[in-house]
Amino acid sequence: MCPDAELRILVVDDHPIWRHSVAAGLEEAGCTVAGTAGDGAQALRVATATRPGVVLLDLNLPDMSGAEVTRRLLAADPAVRVLILSASGERQDVLDAMTAGATGYLVKSAQFSELLAAVRSAAAGEAVFTPGLAGLVLGEYRRLAAGSAAEAEGGPAGSAGPVGPSRAASPGQPRLTERETEVLRLVAKGMTYPEIAALLVLSPRTVQNHVQNTLIKLQLHNKAQLVRYALEQGIE
Amino acid sequence: MAVFRVVTLIYAAVLITRDHNGYAHPAAGWLALAVMVGWSAVTIIAYARPAGRQPWLICADVAVCAALVLSTRLIVPASQINAGAPTIPTSWAASSVLACAVAGGPAGGLAGAGVIIAADIVERQALPQATFSNIVLILIAGGVGGYIVQLGLRAEAAADHAARLEAAIAERDRIARGIHDSVLQVLALVAARGRELGGESAELARLAGEQESALRALVTGTAVVPPEGGQLDLAGLLEPLGGSRVTVSCPAGAVLLDDAPARALAAAAGEALDNVRRHAGADARAWVLVEDDGGSVTVSVRDNGLGFAAGRLAQAEAAGRLGVAQSIKGRLRDVGGSACVRSSPGQGTEVELRVPRR
Repeated sequence: MCPDAELRILVVDDHPIWRHSVAAGLEEAGCTVAGTAGDGAQALRVATATRPGVVLLDLNLPDMSGAEVTRRLLAADPAVRVLILSASGERQDVLDAMTAGATGYLVKSAQFSELLAAVRSAAAGEAVFTPGLAGLVLGEYRRLAAGSAAEAEGGPAGSAGPVGPSRAASPGQPRLTERETEVLRLVAKGMTYPEIAALLVLSPRTVQNHVQNTLIKLQLHNKAQLVRYALEQGIE
Repeated sequence: MAVFRVVTLIYAAVLITRDHNGYAHPAAGWLALAVMVGWSAVTIIAYARPAGRQPWLICADVAVCAALVLSTRLIVPASQINAGAPTIPTSWAASSVLACAVAGGPAGGLAGAGVIIAADIVERQALPQATFSNIVLILIAGGVGGYIVQLGLRAEAAADHAARLEAAIAERDRIARGIHDSVLQVLALVAARGRELGGESAELARLAGEQESALRALVTGTAVVPPEGGQLDLAGLLEPLGGSRVTVSCPAGAVLLDDAPARALAAAAGEALDNVRRHAGADARAWVLVEDDGGSVTVSVRDNGLGFAAGRLAQAEAAGRLGVAQSIKGRLRDVGGSACVRSSPGQGTEVELRVPRR
């Protein structure tokens, strides 16, 4: 099922039964399992040694957060694709890992065929968007918009100008276009890319691009925030 | 209290030993001392356990002390009493007042003190300055002692309750962690792999999946989290609705709403999902999306099932059949919100529930 035997995968999960079962399933499907790891530090060591193409990352690791592991994996190798595999009910953790640069997110209860498809998409650099992730990303844009509106209202009155306080947000604040919001809401309501493409009279590729853009904008914003924070704190 | 009783008993014994030659009935003096020693032993042993502090025993304690105070008039010549000689039990009598205070709080302490004081006054048949001071001291011992004991007991009970609560929460967390690390992972695995195998395994997988989400909802325990400032997290209310056929998507943070609108939205979404199960077909899946734009909260319930023709809902309404759609609309109207239903045959159904914030 996995056409690309060159595709090397690192499976990171603190639960051995899960880790071994997923690794065995991937091997059966014809993928190469580059290694397995039970915690974040081990994952980083194995990744350095084996250079996997895709890291299947559980968020519930004993030593560091999923976002931290994702950031460090990408710092060591910007080409690696991190696919988050998590139990439900960890919404903030999922969002943090995604904005830290992960390529996609799947729930652990997903079917194995979905997992394989997600691994292949991630390897190709395509964002893996589940309805749950679309809901998180929509929520995050709304939170950022609400935060900047409140900031603008609380700031000096003159700076808002004639366009009103909600437009006074810093130009660096990421915003969704109307089309992106539309597409993201449909993804969150469970529609597939071909279904959305048919409904909005777009090509499935365009739908994919819209979805991907929403995530890339958040990740760039997150990176800029980190850099700004680092500069403010005087960290070189 | 036992210490007070023993110390005062020794004091009384010393006084009786010193004065017994002047008593009208020295033998009776020794008998009174024997009664005090015996009674001290009985009360110290009985009061050691909380179950031993029975009201009748404490009443008997007061009665014995009062009787001994009164016996002074039989044992000691009247001239010595009038000259200010101490009573036979001296301060030992106050130990029964303390017993009353411990068992009955300030009221009990004062009542016990009242009886002993009455006995004292009857015994003296006068109220000299020294006796008056003793009376004040006994009243203070009964009242204040009772109050302090009561405060102490309350503090002890509160600390005990807090410790129990803390232990229960810690134990609950420990179990939740254990379940999360083991049972849930295995159930998720069975659910995922069983579906791949198909046939009978797929049915087992479905059951495992349902148990996984039920157990997860139980150990994540939204119910035990106290509502923030009287508000409820809508995401926490809706997430347990998710399962193998239902996906619930929410923002990362809590979606806080007042109690009534939050419960109305959750109940309406639950009804919409029941409807999907009943009417949308066996293979239908459903998605719940929670959106919070600050001014209002929107919950969309979409399924990919059979759907229905646009006029059918209106027809049913006109025919006087108040369907589920009406009940959902009613719930939302009650909290100032609105609901709309969109569907077409073969295209599934979408119910959109919206509640404005204030």
